[in-house]
Amino acid sequence: MTDLILQALYSGLLQGGSYALIALGLALVFGTMRVINLAHGELVLLAAYIAYTVESGLGLNPAWAIPIAVVVVSLTSAGVYGIVSRIRKDREINSLILTFGIGVIMTNLILLIWKADVRSTSSSWLQEAFVVGPLYSMRGEAVFFIVSLLLMAGLWWWLSRSWYGRALRAVSSNREAAKLMGIPPARTELVSFIVAGMLAGFAGVALYSYGVIQPAYGGALTVKAFIITVLAGVGSIPGVLLGAVLLGVAEALTVTLASSALQELAGMMLFLLVLFVMPNGLLGASRRRG
Amino acid sequence: MNARPPGLAPVIAILVVGYGAVPLLLGANQYIMSLIVAALVIGCVALSWALLGNLGGMVSFGHSAFFGVGAYVSAIVTLKAGLPVAAGMVLGGAGAVLASLAMLPVLRLRGPYFALAILAYAHIFRIVATEWTSVTGGSGGIGNIPLLPALPPNLSGIGMGGKTGAYLVILTIVLLFALAYRAIRASHYGLALRAMRDSEDATRVVGVNSTLLKGLMLMVSAFMAGVAGAFNAHYLNFLEPDYAFNGVWVTLPIVAAIFGGYRTITGPVIGALVVYLLDQIVFKALIPTGHQLVLGGLLVAMILFSPTGLLPLLPSLRKSASRPGRNDHA
Amino acid sequence: MLELNNLSVRFGGLTAVNNVTLNVGAGDVVGLVGPNGAGKTTLFNAISGLVRTTGGSIRFDRHDVLRTPMYRRARLGIGRTFQVPQPMHELTVRENLVVAQRFGAEKIDTQRIDEILEFTSLAEKAARDASTELSLTELKALEVAKALATSPKLLLLDEVLAGLETTGKRRFMEMLREMHTRFGVGIVMIEHDIEIISALCSRVVVLNFGQLIADGAPDAVFRDPEVMRSYTGAAAAGAGNA
Repeated sequence: MTDLILQALYSGLLQGGSYALIALGLALVFGTMRVINLAHGELVLLAAYIAYTVESGLGLNPAWAIPIAVVVVSLTSAGVYGIVSRIRKDREINSLILTFGIGVIMTNLILLIWKADVRSTSSSWLQEAFVVGPLYSMRGEAVFFIVSLLLMAGLWWWLSRSWYGRALRAVSSNREAAKLMGIPPARTELVSFIVAGMLAGFAGVALYSYGVIQPAYGGALTVKAFIITVLAGVGSIPGVLLGAVLLGVAEALTVTLASSALQELAGMMLFLLVLFVMPNGLLGASRRRG
Repeated sequence: MNARPPGLAPVIAILVVGYGAVPLLLGANQYIMSLIVAALVIGCVALSWALLGNLGGMVSFGHSAFFGVGAYVSAIVTLKAGLPVAAGMVLGGAGAVLASLAMLPVLRLRGPYFALAILAYAHIFRIVATEWTSVTGGSGGIGNIPLLPALPPNLSGIGMGGKTGAYLVILTIVLLFALAYRAIRASHYGLALRAMRDSEDATRVVGVNSTLLKGLMLMVSAFMAGVAGAFNAHYLNFLEPDYAFNGVWVTLPIVAAIFGGYRTITGPVIGALVVYLLDQIVFKALIPTGHQLVLGGLLVAMILFSPTGLLPLLPSLRKSASRPGRNDHA
Repeated sequence: MLELNNLSVRFGGLTAVNNVTLNVGAGDVVGLVGPNGAGKTTLFNAISGLVRTTGGSIRFDRHDVLRTPMYRRARLGIGRTFQVPQPMHELTVRENLVVAQRFGAEKIDTQRIDEILEFTSLAEKAARDASTELSLTELKALEVAKALATSPKLLLLDEVLAGLETTGKRRFMEMLREMHTRFGVGIVMIEHDIEIISALCSRVVVLNFGQLIADGAPDAVFRDPEVMRSYTGAAAAGAGNA
């Protein structure tokens, strides 16, 4: 029994790495612009389907899809920013509905182009077992977990050291003050979208490499990213990683101890648990009683 | 001295067209009638969505939860407990209200968090419906749900059974709900709710229990969407989780409500008729798979160019119909 | 009527209200003064229920209201205006009062609403949109009118006179003078202008860094050296101009 649980913890941990990448993109944009991009999951899915095309169309290992996916998804993300930035009034709610609409467009485009069938990688290299002691995983899972950690470290470094990184943090804490200091908010927001796109690009290829994809999956991905953002609280990359691992582990444990059909439920329940038990820890939730 | 309700003429027009012209002229065409019935179901959900947004100040991405719960509750009580269909539909609405009670703790969250929390609930209900096989029949669904009772043929011998009968039922439901919406909006509660949209604190400081009012609006909205789901279940006689909790019951009502003008009462319903018929007749023909793409595009375009909807852009006609009746206690 | 006992409000590391003990009787007209940032508005927020307290107790009309939600405190009789007017948007002036009366006083009394509209000089603007068609003076009058419509026993006025020009100020002062006698409310008012306070209030309470440092008749309080010291720290504000 302990073996099963240990295995579940391990699988959850690995899965958490990729979930963290997905969630980071969402959190980055939200932090900078106070906009929740409901199409974010579709961006990740797009990258996954690009990986599929690279594999099935060109016969290459999906990892080769990374540069293409990153470029395409970043451009798409910039496009989303272009549309979102046009909203003048009530940005919070209107951007929500707007990105929801963009998500619907993207899901249906994906459906149109790639059809409804479920896809997953056929690369044996990625699917080969990778064993660490008593713990088993697919090589793809382990590889992308390491990649995720490296990317997160890079992101953390970039946010704290680079000019754009610090500009992002300035804009997210006080847009007006940042403007006064000469930081161009529009360009900074664009950068946040592009970086989110890059992260989504990686995450999507990772997703394809060890999971299954289908057009309807975009929405579920966005919801997961949102759940993690809520778990993490605002502003910390380690928090997002922790939240992502928590989600991954919860799902893995549910699959092991209950049934695989309830996997999605795990995330939702975790989400609600956090909402009820730690409401004051959430971004912008009411801090006062009235 | 109460002002006469504005727009008495449009009301009469609606009644004449709805109960008279449409069944008489289109009743024979089963295809069109089925489209209209479906559009009205969506219109009902759109109405409930708009009510929650306007009066409750909450945008929801999870109305499919209420729709699905209403459908299943009604199907189960009529099938397994033998209750009449009408009672089933009311209980379906009640079931949706119970579901909304589970969401009450989420009310205090700000806009985006509420919207997505509701979405999470919708997912949960779908999964529960799929897994709780003993009660809901699992992913296979429930079949042989009792039909809507056939209404007696009217005097001119037009058969009221089938699509036309169902049409009249859903039309009546929608009109009743629209009236209820209007009544709430015109009442003191309506005033307080509208004020709450901008600043809850401003209302609480003068004694408005804003949390209670918001909760009540959530329950009313849930009831309406639940009844729509219940009606749909009896209309189709078949139910399955992926259908009842499908994202289309989220997307279409939102597009419909915004298209028709979500600040008005008739807007969401008219929007549903236009959008759904366009979608089924035009878009589906052009892009068989993924035709909802156009709906997404519509949504994006509307938010960018006219967040309060497209139909409201039509001058005077819309404006006079949208003024709420004022209660003047002189 | 209002009893605050060792009341404290702490936000993270900052103590905005520090062990304040204060009693306000039904007949009192009390001025609340202090340099900027002394915690005056926070004290009002605590009394009306907008913020949570971290220590001490609040009793109103012999009820313990520490855990009572804001809307219920309004119904019990604590009325309050905001420094920056918060009218109920999309509603007319009259509708603002109707909501306040219906939910705060839990009754409908059109005559009373007319009376309040007249008293606050808003009768002509009764049918106007509260958010778009009122001047600053009228917005401030609406704040007071709304609070009056809830039939309060205690009225907390937060810098009601700030930002008004001379005629408006004079009119408001007349109104405040009458308010106490006409509507039978106890008043606590935050103002910066010492002359206004001296003219209207029989009692002054001084807050500095969240602590109550003086409580007494205006003459005595304003001559208290400690009070003067607290103001020289914020010299410009001490001149008390709105």
